[in-house]
Amino acid sequence: MADLKFVIGDPRVCTGCMICVNVCSMRYFKVISPERSRVRAVRIEPGLDFTLFCRNCEDAPCIDACPEEALSRTSKGVVIVNNKKCTGCGSCVEACPYDAIRINPDTEKAIKCIQCNECIKRCPVDAIWMTTKKELEERDPDGKIMALHEEHSEELYSKEDSQ
Amino acid sequence: MIQGVGGKVIWVDLTKGKIEKRPIEKKLVEKYLLGAGYLSKVLFDSIPTGIDPLSPENVIGFATGLLTASMFPQSSRHVVAALSPLTDVWGESHAAGFWGPELKLAGYDAIFFTGASLDPVYLNINDSTVELLSADDVWGRDVFETDDILRERHGKRARLIYIGQAGENLVRFAAVMNDRDRASARSGLGAVMGSKKLKAICVRGTGRIEVADPKKYMDTMDEFYRRMLANPFTPGRAKYGTTNLVEMMQHIGRLPSYNMRQGVFDGYEKISGETITEKYLVKPRSDWCCLQRCARYTSVKEGPYKYEGGSPEYETQSALGSRCGNDNLESVLFGHHLANQYGMDTISLGGTISWAMEAWDEGLLTAEDTDGIDLSWGNHASIVKLIKMIAFREGFGDVLAEGSARAAGKIGRGTEKFVMTVKKQEIAGQEPRAQKSMGLAAVTAARGADHLYAFPVLDEAGFDDEIKERFGEEYLPEMAERLNPKYKGIMVKECEDFMVVVESLGLCKYGTQIPPEFYYEDVALAMKVHNGLEFTRGDLQIIGERIVNLNRLFNVKRGVTRADDNLPDRLTKEGAPLGPSKGEVVELDQMLDEYYLKRGWDNETGIPYASTLKRLGLVEEASGMEIPD
Repeated sequence: MADLKFVIGDPRVCTGCMICVNVCSMRYFKVISPERSRVRAVRIEPGLDFTLFCRNCEDAPCIDACPEEALSRTSKGVVIVNNKKCTGCGSCVEACPYDAIRINPDTEKAIKCIQCNECIKRCPVDAIWMTTKKELEERDPDGKIMALHEEHSEELYSKEDSQ
Repeated sequence: MIQGVGGKVIWVDLTKGKIEKRPIEKKLVEKYLLGAGYLSKVLFDSIPTGIDPLSPENVIGFATGLLTASMFPQSSRHVVAALSPLTDVWGESHAAGFWGPELKLAGYDAIFFTGASLDPVYLNINDSTVELLSADDVWGRDVFETDDILRERHGKRARLIYIGQAGENLVRFAAVMNDRDRASARSGLGAVMGSKKLKAICVRGTGRIEVADPKKYMDTMDEFYRRMLANPFTPGRAKYGTTNLVEMMQHIGRLPSYNMRQGVFDGYEKISGETITEKYLVKPRSDWCCLQRCARYTSVKEGPYKYEGGSPEYETQSALGSRCGNDNLESVLFGHHLANQYGMDTISLGGTISWAMEAWDEGLLTAEDTDGIDLSWGNHASIVKLIKMIAFREGFGDVLAEGSARAAGKIGRGTEKFVMTVKKQEIAGQEPRAQKSMGLAAVTAARGADHLYAFPVLDEAGFDDEIKERFGEEYLPEMAERLNPKYKGIMVKECEDFMVVVESLGLCKYGTQIPPEFYYEDVALAMKVHNGLEFTRGDLQIIGERIVNLNRLFNVKRGVTRADDNLPDRLTKEGAPLGPSKGEVVELDQMLDEYYLKRGWDNETGIPYASTLKRLGLVEEASGMEIPD
């Protein structure tokens, strides 16, 4: 399963413009609303801008946590939400270690990144891209990007954005 | 219904502690848009004449534009306005960031504060909850501390607008700060907040902005993004922000140096954009939907000027650098950081310190006046020391905290002739003898000396095609010539009309004026898909004219006439002593005549004619005033 894809952002390159965030809520819900976006943007000084997406964990605790079996992995390896089954109970939100799932307050369904690429193609500075663990190791051999995420994990994954 | 807005306005009576929410008035929006235009009308109606700007009778307004929090390129901006304690006339200032979009997402377009609180307070907005809370524990704190404390209390995603100690201490050029290092710097509006004991507005908005035409929305914005990114100016803006304007201004002799004695500075390379980018830049930064990313995040790693934070831009390099004869870049960067921390306008700060330095150089100020501080040109330790003394009004800092015009009034001894202001506001880093349009723009701007009200940059760097598009071929080549006063009245008038529309939409002047990528038709298209409002280029031009004329009436009511639309003698009578514009003066009268004619204002008094006001629907506003026929 080492080739599971996910979107990653380099907090040193991202300028924090939030176009990715707004493209997402516009595409899926026809509104501008960071609360209804599947990507979060978090600015942490000194000089870091994180864009946070579903990491597509191999063990996917969100899938296991769902009492309605609404979450599943597609043949391409993307974790998706079945809106017909989802009751908006928030168990997946609770289970996600990366604060990458939230409940849309309008639809009351869980939402998460499904790797549609719409934000990536609009990033003005190419700070976000589709990756795999292997690709990321090659691109960032020192592991600096993940280390920065780890260093600020308490603030990044505080669930403040999914409450 | 107008779409793509918050829909509500908050009125806070600070004396009574009363909060009221009102729906946004569509009729007003159709006549004035939102943002700067909306504030112009509401504050024209609600600020009495004959009051002290720092008294409870002043009203301060904060507003987002019609396109703030849209997806238009660079659509993050908000406006703050009140009667200015620096100029005693119309005070207005703008900033980018995330506070404006957050306010919209909470469901509001504007906030007005009347009266004054006895004890320090801040307004906390959390979607539908709006409450005044005690600011006792943040009063006396700087901008960064206030940001930390209030975001710890109200959530890390809260966005804030606030004042630092300079605003609390009523420094007449105190800024209103937001998102840590963004400044609505000019006009001293931070002091108005301070006088009302209003420390901050904390906003958390989790709502949604519904747009008028979701089907066409993304395609429309994608085309704007494509154009913005393809514009030849964008890569340079991204690389340097505005910092490399130092090099460009030096090249054309427009870099104010030694308090505007001259427009060239020997040490320019040391304070240049190239040097900042090479040695101190951490990364470029953006605000909401900004593709140009001119904001900088910088650091000085060691020594007395060690800091890390957002900064700087060209105006500060000029104000604390060349204008003070200072080529110590680290002190300029640190000085900028301190100005953000205490909340002050760096233009007026540098303009005031450089006035004192010239007076010192001329022997008119001595150590007795300055608490022993040496004010020799380029003494960077003194500059940095003074910044704190001004913010806290300590010693000689208390004199300088009044701005250069009032400080010279107090000191006297002939220091008045070194005051480089219009309507008591310090002239920005645009030496007008090297670009005549900038001289005219500085005197006609409603808020006193200002380069941004008109932002006449079309004669700066080969924008002949845009001049042709915006004005027609008949004005070329003269309009495009920097040193030629001809047609500058026409250019400044048209630029003002467009720029007040841009400030009413919440957009940036980068992208609309330099580079001149987007014009009326483009913003009208954005308003159509975002707000569902249909305006033609002609409609918007009239609205722009209306706003400028209303700003003028606000000032005329407070005694402003042509005599106040004036530059310091140095710039109109003394030829530039050296550099590319050597020997040049600003031919102000010639340009003003043309400007008033084009505006439909009386040439002698500078007051709008009755026919002009009638055409713009401003007859009622002018009632009781002496208006020429």
